[in-house]
Amino acid sequence: MISYLLRRLAFMVPTVLGITLMVFMLLALAPGGIGAGLAGSAGQLSDTSKVAQMQAYFEDRYGLNDPVIVQYARWLGRISPVKFGERDLRTPSGERVAPPRAIDDPPLAEAFPAPTAEVAAAPYAPPAGEQLVPEFKKLQREAEGARRDYIGSVRQFRDALAEWAKQQGPSMAGRLDSKGSARTEDFRGVEFPPDSPGYAKLAAAAAAMRAKWFRASAARERALAAFRAGPYPKSGIPLLPGLVSLDTPDLGVAFSKNRPVADLIAAALPVTLLINLIAFPISYLVAVPTGILASVRRGGWLDVGSGFLFLGLYSVPTVLAGVFAIGFLANRQYLGWFPVSGLHDSAAASMTFLPHTDAAGLWHRGYLLDTAWHVALPVLCLVYASFAVLSKQTRASMLDNFSADYVRTAKAKGVPRKDVVMRHVFRNSLLPLITMFVGVFPAMLAGSVVIERIFTVPGMGSLILEAIDLRDREIILANTFMVACVNLLALLLADILYAAADPRVSFNRA
Amino acid sequence: MTQRQPGATLAEPGTDRLSRPVLEVTDLAVSFDNSAGGPRVQAVNGASMALYPQQTLAVVGESGCGKSVTAMSTMQLIARPPGRFDRGSILFEGRDICTLEERDMLSIRGGKIAMIFQEPMTSLNPVYTIGDQLLEAILLHQRVGPEEARGIAVQAMRDVGIRKPEERLGMYPHQFSGGMRQRVMIAMALACRPKVLLADEPTTALDVTIQAQILELLRELQRDRDMGIMLITHNLGVVAENADVVCVMYAGRVVEVANVFELFDEPLHPYTRGLFRSIPMLREAKHRLVTIRDVTDEPAEFRRLPGAVPWWPDMPQGARPALAAGRDEHVLVEVRPDRWVACWRTPELEARPHRRPNLAFRRGDR
Amino acid sequence: MPDAPIGHAPQAISGVDAMRGVGAVQAKGFWEDAWARVLARPGAVFGLSWIAVIAFFAVFAPLIANAHPVTLVTDRGREWPLLEHLAPADWLLLAGAVLGTPWVFLGPRRLKRSQRLGVLVACGLQAAATVVLSAAVVAWADDADRAAWVKDSIRAPWGIPSAVAAVALVFAAVAAWVPSVECRRVRLGAAGLTAALAFLACSFAGRTALVNFERYLEDERSGAIREVVWAPVPWSPQYTRSDMVAQAPGTRVADVPSLSAYADTAFGARRLLLGSDALGGDVLSQMLWACRLSISIGIVSTGISVAIGITMGALMGYFGGKVDLFLFRIVEIFMAVPVLFLLIVAAGVLPRNTYVMMAIIGCFSWTGAARFTRAEFLKLRGQDFVQAARANGLPVSKILFRHMLPNGITPVLVDASFAVAAAITVEATLSYLGLGPDGQASWGKLLSSATAATGTFVWWLAVFPGAAIFLSVLSYNLLGEAMRDAIDPKLRKAAH
Ligand SMILES: Nc1ncnc2c1ncn2[C@@H]1O[C@H](COP(=O)(O)OP(=O)(O)O)[C@@H](O)[C@H]1O
Ligand SMILES: [Mg+2]
Repeated sequence: MISYLLRRLAFMVPTVLGITLMVFMLLALAPGGIGAGLAGSAGQLSDTSKVAQMQAYFEDRYGLNDPVIVQYARWLGRISPVKFGERDLRTPSGERVAPPRAIDDPPLAEAFPAPTAEVAAAPYAPPAGEQLVPEFKKLQREAEGARRDYIGSVRQFRDALAEWAKQQGPSMAGRLDSKGSARTEDFRGVEFPPDSPGYAKLAAAAAAMRAKWFRASAARERALAAFRAGPYPKSGIPLLPGLVSLDTPDLGVAFSKNRPVADLIAAALPVTLLINLIAFPISYLVAVPTGILASVRRGGWLDVGSGFLFLGLYSVPTVLAGVFAIGFLANRQYLGWFPVSGLHDSAAASMTFLPHTDAAGLWHRGYLLDTAWHVALPVLCLVYASFAVLSKQTRASMLDNFSADYVRTAKAKGVPRKDVVMRHVFRNSLLPLITMFVGVFPAMLAGSVVIERIFTVPGMGSLILEAIDLRDREIILANTFMVACVNLLALLLADILYAAADPRVSFNRA
Repeated sequence: MTQRQPGATLAEPGTDRLSRPVLEVTDLAVSFDNSAGGPRVQAVNGASMALYPQQTLAVVGESGCGKSVTAMSTMQLIARPPGRFDRGSILFEGRDICTLEERDMLSIRGGKIAMIFQEPMTSLNPVYTIGDQLLEAILLHQRVGPEEARGIAVQAMRDVGIRKPEERLGMYPHQFSGGMRQRVMIAMALACRPKVLLADEPTTALDVTIQAQILELLRELQRDRDMGIMLITHNLGVVAENADVVCVMYAGRVVEVANVFELFDEPLHPYTRGLFRSIPMLREAKHRLVTIRDVTDEPAEFRRLPGAVPWWPDMPQGARPALAAGRDEHVLVEVRPDRWVACWRTPELEARPHRRPNLAFRRGDR
Repeated sequence: MPDAPIGHAPQAISGVDAMRGVGAVQAKGFWEDAWARVLARPGAVFGLSWIAVIAFFAVFAPLIANAHPVTLVTDRGREWPLLEHLAPADWLLLAGAVLGTPWVFLGPRRLKRSQRLGVLVACGLQAAATVVLSAAVVAWADDADRAAWVKDSIRAPWGIPSAVAAVALVFAAVAAWVPSVECRRVRLGAAGLTAALAFLACSFAGRTALVNFERYLEDERSGAIREVVWAPVPWSPQYTRSDMVAQAPGTRVADVPSLSAYADTAFGARRLLLGSDALGGDVLSQMLWACRLSISIGIVSTGISVAIGITMGALMGYFGGKVDLFLFRIVEIFMAVPVLFLLIVAAGVLPRNTYVMMAIIGCFSWTGAARFTRAEFLKLRGQDFVQAARANGLPVSKILFRHMLPNGITPVLVDASFAVAAAITVEATLSYLGLGPDGQASWGKLLSSATAATGTFVWWLAVFPGAAIFLSVLSYNLLGEAMRDAIDPKLRKAAH
């Protein structure tokens, strides 16, 4: 059993890798690439050179210049529970603090050597215990700022380089890319004669870049020392100290909201699960008995009627049902029976859990009823489509089993018809119903994306749609990852239930 | 080895108990809606037969001749629709099964009349243990507590020659081989000591050695328990070894009834002759096996029976004798004492007194 | 007790005869028989009728709902604006429907009707490919980045026709070479005719980029029009007026407060039969034009997914072992995440146009077909006729596609009808989420404008497109259900 579970979990790894890689590639292939949303947000700044610097900063911060596959590998490294290298720290509030990132040497350093006098900054001296955290925070901020300056200066240097190259005539200008900007790698080994036109500007940019690099790396050194001094406890469990450790997956920080994705998901996932977990039993409780009755009275009015009704319901797209529900049932123009949006009333926080009547004789619905009132329409829109699939399947497998030989045996034993139906036919029809889980659960999960948009419920669906609008890679990927995990675990659960229900299936042989 | 249950009396031929048929099928006709859209299928069309305690009545005939439908009608397991009882009766212990309420039928089914089927591999419910399925039958028909029922189940398993029955009660059908499953089916059928066992091709799906064991087992249990067995089979070898009385069916009709020795000595109906001729013989060199059709297509075969023309649906209209008006064309005639053959109902035959096939013969009698 | 003592019924047959097949309905051939049984169900007939209605409007929408007048006589003389503004695809669709439909139903006896239908479908594919590729070639050659000689040659008077001719010839050759249709002469003739039609349509159809509908109103107001004939629904989906937003069904144009100036004109007397949408476009004309998207998106994307699914499933089922293990991981990847989720991501980041939408729906929903085919092929692989084909040394492709496919394709085809319904649902969903194709009238897009951000609810934008979506999805589902019942032998068996 344990080994079976482990093997199944191991088989999930390539699947999750595959699905995340596919989504990653999709995002990278899309026009504008992964950072399209960032460029958009930077584009609101008026100053074009500021925009460029901002963009450079974002690209550096999220590593967007690297090849897609490197970016994906980095993402995997974060998501993987097995971490390599220095362990992160964890603040008391649970936030994760990574060690300050290394800074590459400035580009074309050999062509523009450092000016002689560079004064080394004061080394880090660990302060007293309670000062450790504020000091680290200060140094971290400084390092971040210095890095940002440096990245901006690299950008300026590239602009200067491009301008210089254009002044040198076609031999140099040919090294520029199609948009006329310079990639420093393409200028490696190039002579920069000091008497060439525009050299002074270029050298000044290089010197500024060099100085900023020096400051940034010194600040990073100090921040790293402060990091190593251990202002917070280390996160994770070491396996090989300093090299390999175990830690929870890091879902990254959302581009668009500047908040850890894990927090966003932690807020959204319970909402989605709540709706799904209410909907799921309802759909089984309605569909399965209907299917049973339909098969017992095959061709009767219930069979024909439920067949038509459920097929009709199945043919109503979720969006259509949602729009009608919102429009006719919730909107004040018409019936206005249900709330139009959200999951709770604005006053829900101050409600008692159960309904009650206060001293003044006023009735309050309480938190539970309030929630039920809010989720009623979303749940309704989520369940109806699965009725058809489930009851059809129940009916078909019941009918299959009615003509099975062992049912004939049971009848020949003198088992009363009711027991034949429930104990023999239905018990054996359960097996395909468990497998139906596989189909119904993902469909509901997907359905809830749409439903959350329609009913403005702040769940995973709303999160993902917002992220798609903003091209927020981190949220999209983390969402894909979570949905895939939830789904695969549901499938595994279905398989375990199947094995529990069918003695012919055993984990040892499977 | 079988153990004698207390209270089971030894078979004594001639006693009153054994001289009355336990099951009597009279002029049974069952038809089905045709799912392919054609005319109704008259699966059984006026079949009559009688079964005595301690007797094995073999019902033989080609596929589709209505053997299983006859047995299933006896259990009232024909689904209606598509099935329909057109006429006839099935008397069991003096009551007509066809007129019983479903409630009364429940106690007969599995309790007094039991049935085993051809498909041992699929006839047990795969999701319950053997023990569950045995106990279900026992608890339904005997007023016993669970502990006692378990004892009966263990005994039943032992009776059919399953070793370590206590252990095996907890096992699932898929853990058993085909022969073992058929033994379980028999144990389940016999656990409630039925008066009649309907064995519908119980050994067709099994290999030859197992087949012999199972039939041997049935014979022993039959003797111990005064049970009548209706043995449905294609296999004439099985008939020769096990049957007391043979009833040959064709197209829903009974075409010949006789005790097993007389039938094998001298088959009278051309169809029966065809059945025997179609068995390959070792020492006969033939370039092609004889089929039943080869025999029944030969008009000379139908002239051998003096005083009557054997009934045969495919006979050309001209070859048929003049029929008695307004009556069923088919009549089972006792052409010699204790030998019945299906004949065209001519006015001459109509005049003769008729007795329905009814033979208390058992092998030991001879 | 005998249920009904009817005595001996002479028309009944015996069980032995039944076993031999006496009295069974004369075998018609599997497909013909299945089709007859499908048509015996009222649900399927309803579905087919509705699909036929949609198909009719998909073809004839430009003639039925158009804000260009059919003909117009002014000082400039007689004009035919409606015909002048038809796109190549419109011409081809009209030609295909006018020529092809009678040919399929009344065509030569030499070919079976299913074969004629196959030829028509092949011609449709050929024409579509020609139109799309011609447009792409012309757009590519006309791009500012191209070398001068390319630009010059496409701008020369015979530039476009010769480019189109080249494309048309290529696709005609492909269509004529495709080995599936038996009758060689018909195949060549159809391919040639299609190429000629496509050439004519693409080279000479109207390519007026800027459409000015106001022109007719100005002419009308100034009294320049002497004679005019309008289409039955004198609105186009593209014709939106900001002064005509969200009018209720049946409103007369002149009754709209901001349009009272038109009180006495013919324009003012027009009605918005199904109202207008949030951009001030007529709903009825959009509904009619949206039939095109509904028909094409369902069928094309299902075609893509079935093609991919059958290929993958056949490979998995036939080879088994490692191939199966590897390819099934890919199937599993798609099963791990709800397809709609992937579609939302893909539609969100990729360009918003019809072809991309069809492609992504097709590429993300092939796993069902693949699993069905795989299961069938696994079953068939062990069967004697496949073993015999293999023993005879037939090449794998022949065994797969000639021997196994016809036997294993049934469940996929049954499923295809449900897949079309699902594709229509997906289109409505994506359009609702604002991820639908741009510049295309779509029921889903109309539906999405029913609930505005301000919280008002416009019922006619929910009810009419909603009903159209529902009926289309229902039709395909009913058809699929009927096909499943007709073909699935397990369900045909008399139960208990
Ligand atoms: N449930 C049923 N529905 C329709 N026809 C049936 C049914 N059961 C049996 N039949 C028909 O009755 C005929 C006799 O069947 P059966 O008694 O099973 O033959 P056999 O002698 O081989 O056991 C067959 O031709 C079969 O078509
Ligand atoms: Mg039988």
